[in-house]
Amino acid sequence: MRYEIRVEGHLSETLAKAFPELGHVVMAGQTVLFGHVVDEAHLYGLLARCQSLGLRVVEMRPVPE
Amino acid sequence: MSAVAEIHENVPGSAVHLVPALSHTDPVGDPFLRTRFALPARPHTFLRRQRLVDHLDQALRTPLTLLDGPAGAGKTLLAADWASGLGPGPPAAWLTCDVGDCRPGVFWAYVLQALRACGAPASEAIGAPADAAGVDHRLLSALAGELHDRERPVVLVLDEYDRVTDATVAEQLEFVLHHAGPGLHLVLVTRTEPLLPLHRYRAAGDLTEIRSAELAFTPEEAAALLELHGLSLPVQAARNLVDRTRGWAAGLSLSALAARESSDPELYLKEFEADRSTVADFLLVEVLKRQTRETQDLLLRVSVLERFCPDLANALTDRVDAEPILAGLHQENAFVERLGHSWYQLHPLFGEILRAHLRVRLPGQEPELHRRAARWLHRHGFLPETLAHSAAAGDWDLTAGALVDDLAIGLLFTGPSSENLARLFSHMGPEARSPATHLVRAAHDLARHDLDHGLARLRHAEEQLAHEGNDAHDAAARLSCALLEALAARLTGCPPEVEKAAESAAELRQEVPVHLLDKHPELTALLMTHVGSTLLWAGRYEDARAVLTSVAGAPGGASTALPREEAMGHLALLDYMNGWPGRAERKALAAVSEADRPGAPSPSGSGIGRLVLAAVAVDRNELGRAQALIDEAAELPSGTPDPVLAAGRALAAARLLMARGKVRDAVEAADPAVPAAVDSPWARSHEALVTSAAHLAEGRPDEAAEVLRAVSGDQPVCAVEAAAIQLAARRPGAAFDLLDSVHAEGRTGPAVTVRAALVRAGAAAAAGDGAAARKLVAQALLDARRERLRRPFLDAGAWIRPLIATAPLHELAAGWLTPAAPAQGERTVPQPPPAPLVAVELSAREHDVLDRVARMMSTEEIAADLCLSVNTVKTHLKSVYRKLAVNRRGEAVRRARDLRIL
Repeated sequence: MRYEIRVEGHLSETLAKAFPELGHVVMAGQTVLFGHVVDEAHLYGLLARCQSLGLRVVEMRPVPE
Repeated sequence: MSAVAEIHENVPGSAVHLVPALSHTDPVGDPFLRTRFALPARPHTFLRRQRLVDHLDQALRTPLTLLDGPAGAGKTLLAADWASGLGPGPPAAWLTCDVGDCRPGVFWAYVLQALRACGAPASEAIGAPADAAGVDHRLLSALAGELHDRERPVVLVLDEYDRVTDATVAEQLEFVLHHAGPGLHLVLVTRTEPLLPLHRYRAAGDLTEIRSAELAFTPEEAAALLELHGLSLPVQAARNLVDRTRGWAAGLSLSALAARESSDPELYLKEFEADRSTVADFLLVEVLKRQTRETQDLLLRVSVLERFCPDLANALTDRVDAEPILAGLHQENAFVERLGHSWYQLHPLFGEILRAHLRVRLPGQEPELHRRAARWLHRHGFLPETLAHSAAAGDWDLTAGALVDDLAIGLLFTGPSSENLARLFSHMGPEARSPATHLVRAAHDLARHDLDHGLARLRHAEEQLAHEGNDAHDAAARLSCALLEALAARLTGCPPEVEKAAESAAELRQEVPVHLLDKHPELTALLMTHVGSTLLWAGRYEDARAVLTSVAGAPGGASTALPREEAMGHLALLDYMNGWPGRAERKALAAVSEADRPGAPSPSGSGIGRLVLAAVAVDRNELGRAQALIDEAAELPSGTPDPVLAAGRALAAARLLMARGKVRDAVEAADPAVPAAVDSPWARSHEALVTSAAHLAEGRPDEAAEVLRAVSGDQPVCAVEAAAIQLAARRPGAAFDLLDSVHAEGRTGPAVTVRAALVRAGAAAAAGDGAAARKLVAQALLDARRERLRRPFLDAGAWIRPLIATAPLHELAAGWLTPAAPAQGERTVPQPPPAPLVAVELSAREHDVLDRVARMMSTEEIAADLCLSVNTVKTHLKSVYRKLAVNRRGEAVRRARDLRIL
């Protein structure tokens, strides 16, 4: 399943490397992380990683393949 | 994060002044991490916010309080400040949770320790969880009950509760909270919603809730906080900053740190407000780049560590300046938190971000940093941390070397961390070739009872060791070899090998540091259990008993629980074989309760204890119980499937089948079917006994007697049963010879004396000496009564029934062997027909024959129907007559119906 995770603020290139499995694009004061999510566990892991990096998640949604 | 916590808890040599020295140990076997029970110190820049303190005071009026907010929201410091201000109020226990607390046993051990540390200990009667994986429900009930009855309630603060993700712990916490009533105020400090039924507490008004919106700083509070950092801001500027950071405490502190260093802080903050980067990342970079190059380098490098002291940080930077740098950072309240003495940790939020920066700024350095950390930790005796970091470095020679050097290889077999260690080493690739890595692989194979691979790897390691020098590391590796050799010898039932291993271990123990032997008692305990088990197999009873007794009596602890239980089970088997069922039962029960604690996910242990209990149950004619125990033992997942266990299972199962009259099945079950290097006198004797009894039951007394030659004279229980068979085969002379040989031994218990007396009584009865028989049976009843040994009387034959039915023997048998005599005054009219004295067990074949007799079939018809010869049917019939104490067909059928056999 593919997901899009939208976090508040512009993510620096360095911090984006904390999500090596996802691509990212910065737009309108937000950063969109996107890519293939293996399963639910991976999804929750990504959320936890956002939390431990102090990122504010504003949206998280599956996108069609 | 914490690979370390997964292996096991440890204290990185730190202590905090507030907490008295603690002598208790947790179920993981390590000293408690004292810093986890101390209220975190507030930095000098901490701002007390009265509105939150006032709200938190509500916690004393509700059972549950939730402090819920993102990392860096100021939850922990708020709770610590509030708890320290309770003063003469209720005692406040503090526990900073860790990933390892997901295991209920660990969690509750820490909770109990937190209560102790705050001066409000639970009573000793409540005990402590003995196992990391589980906790006895009775312990939780007792704890809740005690808290409920206290005059002064306790406040229990669980910080970083989000690390406890286990639903079982949440359920148990809910249970204790509910039953402790007014005696417990629970404060959960967490980043994520806990798995408790919060809606219920909320609806009942039993919940105090402080969430992120309330934790956020107001502009006035932000201005006051910046003031503490030496920055004076107009309220509007503070308002903008709060808007930008959403009142996030960590963001405000970082922006103060960054702004303070700039020439125009107000302008700087304006720029920050206009910037659209993510707050934490931006601010961290801002603060980081203002540090000296050395400080930045140090911060990036220590980000791979959970906790660190200056010396460890120096090992990572190759410099010597960590002490002043860390003290300075702590003073500034930037990045690092002080744990006490000279240990620090990174603020968790910054740790994560710093690791991301490390990968960019020092690419490819991570493994090297882990390796350096592992070397330092190894030198300073922190084994779990060493293993975690050397594994993270992918340096398996170092990882396995640390385990072996520390004499910790036994932890792969026993103790709460064995699973985690196995998981850690499962990542080890074939490229690691040091002796220690081969030893770890050999241990892994032997633990799975893969002898071929295990032995090949063990030989490989030994050859490598033989080529290398002879130093202290070698001694530890060779001692580890000896342990594995002993295990292999036990699995193959080979006493010379086990003795060689034991001798070499005894020598090597002189060469390794004493404190390591003390630190890892499981090494010695496992080795001695292997030795004891192998000696027992080979029939060296007294040597085995001495060795096993030393293991069973060794001091407790989670890491030695398995060997102690196995040793106790083996000692129980020894008692059983000497005819002491009561003693055997007590030891076996101790072994089973050692291995099978309530609350543990599934029963564990080798099962030898259960098999002894089953054999004792057969002797007491409690056949259902015996079957249940044998089934349980068969389902046990772990344990060492050595010859002793196989023979124990064969013994218990065959005796049960014999008692049920299933002779053929018994003979089949009696064969332990285990390859062993040497023959075991007791295993062989028990097998021969069953075979012989089967011959007798099927009417072949000569074959029965022939097979009995294999019964060893040093087996008292076997010898008296053999005597009984000889007597039944009308060879009283041989029977008496056997009995005399037993009595010469003089170490025998009631299971032997009772059977011996019954054999003599049977002989006397056959010789027509009724008085002598009665006297001997009386003696047997007296001996058997205390142990409830019913089986020998049921097996004795038909002659005994009329004897027991008459006074005074009737009294001796009443209540345990035969139904109790009715109390006086209850006597009914007239005397009821004498109840069946003793249950008669026919073999399946005898039953088949008798069943056809009852259908009025002739002997020839029965033979044809059952595909037997006429002579065989006659033999079965004679056997039925003998068992039922009758002489004719009609009587046999009547008697069988009375006894409800038919």
